[in-house]
Amino acid sequence: MASLKSGDYANTAFTNGYEFTQGSGYALPEYPFVAPPEIASGQPSQHAVVIIGGGITGLTLAACLAQHGVDAVLLDEDNTVGVKGASSRGICYTQKSLEIFERLGIYPRIANKGIQWSVGRTFAGDDEVYSFDLRTQSGYNLSRQPPFINIQQFYIEGYLVERIMELGHVELRWNNRVTAFSQNGQLATLKVSTPAGDYTLQARHVIDATGSRTPFREWVGASVTARKGDDRWCIADVRFTRRPPTERHTWIEAPFNDNRAVWQHLMGDEVWRIDYQMAPNADPEYVSREDVVRERLARQFGKDTEVEIVWVGPYAYRSEYVDRMRHGRLFFMGDSAKVVSPFGARGGNTGVADADNLAWKLAAVLRGQAPESLLDSYHDERHQAAVENVRVTNRTARFLRPADGIERVFRNATLSLARQHPFARSLVNTGRMAVANTYTQSAVCDTSGGRSVQNVALRFADGSAGCVNDLLRWAGSRMLLLVFGDIAATTASRLRALSTSAPLLAVQVVSRNGRATAREHVRDPEGHLQGACHAAGASWALVRPDAYVAATGTAVDARLVRQLSRAMATPLETA
Amino acid sequence: MKTDAQFEDADGFYEQLIDAHQGLSREESEVLNARLILLLANQIGNSAVLSECIRAARHLPGGGKTGR
Repeated sequence: MASLKSGDYANTAFTNGYEFTQGSGYALPEYPFVAPPEIASGQPSQHAVVIIGGGITGLTLAACLAQHGVDAVLLDEDNTVGVKGASSRGICYTQKSLEIFERLGIYPRIANKGIQWSVGRTFAGDDEVYSFDLRTQSGYNLSRQPPFINIQQFYIEGYLVERIMELGHVELRWNNRVTAFSQNGQLATLKVSTPAGDYTLQARHVIDATGSRTPFREWVGASVTARKGDDRWCIADVRFTRRPPTERHTWIEAPFNDNRAVWQHLMGDEVWRIDYQMAPNADPEYVSREDVVRERLARQFGKDTEVEIVWVGPYAYRSEYVDRMRHGRLFFMGDSAKVVSPFGARGGNTGVADADNLAWKLAAVLRGQAPESLLDSYHDERHQAAVENVRVTNRTARFLRPADGIERVFRNATLSLARQHPFARSLVNTGRMAVANTYTQSAVCDTSGGRSVQNVALRFADGSAGCVNDLLRWAGSRMLLLVFGDIAATTASRLRALSTSAPLLAVQVVSRNGRATAREHVRDPEGHLQGACHAAGASWALVRPDAYVAATGTAVDARLVRQLSRAMATPLETA
Repeated sequence: MKTDAQFEDADGFYEQLIDAHQGLSREESEVLNARLILLLANQIGNSAVLSECIRAARHLPGGGKTGR
């Protein structure tokens, strides 16, 4: 029988694994193994939701479900966060992810431990080719959360574990390794191996968040669209006596790295991530040897800079996505569903968004508020996001590792023009930073919706300060209907009727000089909330629990009722 | 000559450009580039702009010239 042990499922020579890790490493928390009750009873247990994999994706899903009050079990093959000896993975978390973490209650800890940055500089040779400051870009500056925070992935995972234990509802089972999966129309069956023995679990819904080496693709016969590359990199996480600036620096051609690319980024605990592009035929064992790493660092920072090596990991990335993210009872999520190169922070952040997308849908289905077909929209929406993220990261990968010949000629031409003319800088591609993906192919999103709502500020009726996430927490698992501007008494009574017949919280959004007529209202003096809902000129926006707009409209009429039922994949009469 | 970005989708254009060259020999790529330059030049049309573009293309950063 197949197992989750690393290496078994590496189906290409390319890996994003960390077999050759070196360095003093990070101290990780360890969680206790508790013998599952099924072993003593000998009886399989039944659960609504079982999540496999306690990485950032699985834990985010668990925390989202716990917040929605949905019971679930999470199985992890290890007893810690991160991966033993390979605890440093993702480092850069986007505004959308930070907004989700704020909703889950762990944002203050992330902000406290992590490093905010907004300035990025790109160099070729000794010249700065271009720079940006994300704070000056209008797309980022209205949210309560910054454009990005850099922090070691295992910190977020650890915070999620503690939050899940606070919230209850989700049972975390450490050292529980899934060894087999089968399903019929009603139930999925999982065989699980633990230090205390083996047992069987049954579940209505199984989420595979085990990562890029998932055995579930084989178990369900999932087809995969993949693109291979030969680019190799080697990470060094280090501490310095002399600190570089808190900016993202990227070199396309670094003189101190044989004119190959280098990334330099700060994260928590004053640890810097320096990521070096290697020759395509580089030997991972050699390039990650401590003396070789020290020599490389000395070439960049000078022989006098004292360097403490925290962690070293060579990697080569794959680029692929499963063609269907739902296979009956099984949902692929995070790296199980797609693997991208690391450029632009489109890996872990996508897993977080996957989790937030499915959680409220599972909650609605399990409460009987929506039919199971609502879950199909998870594929519609997150597969579109996966394809987009693979496309965008592949373009960057190609710019950073051009094929010999004409591709390299074009890159050289682009870099030389970029030094002279602003237009060519738009072609220099060192990673397009992740954004909340837009959904245009979803059965449950209207063409007027499908976009993420930033966590902008607002005022509650009593004058206290709030934000979009406060409204979403208030709505819980219900849809949030925001009605902008003054509303007539007849409309107010129609909204009240709608709220009692459907899982809906209707809130009037009162403008600067507007009049509050609905009991449930907030104030939006600057119009930021209406802007964040992409609802300029509209009179309402229907916002889902994952802070995506399902639809907007100009009148509280029959179309609103239709859009509400469409968003839940259900006729209102049966809700 | 415009020097600020005019692209609707810079990354998409760049990908299309290098995709067009995939599988071509060096000589075939040169033919493609030459044909493409002439096609794009006809889109510009304006003689002064075309002259300026040719001058700018010859002038490398650091004061060098192409075709040394």
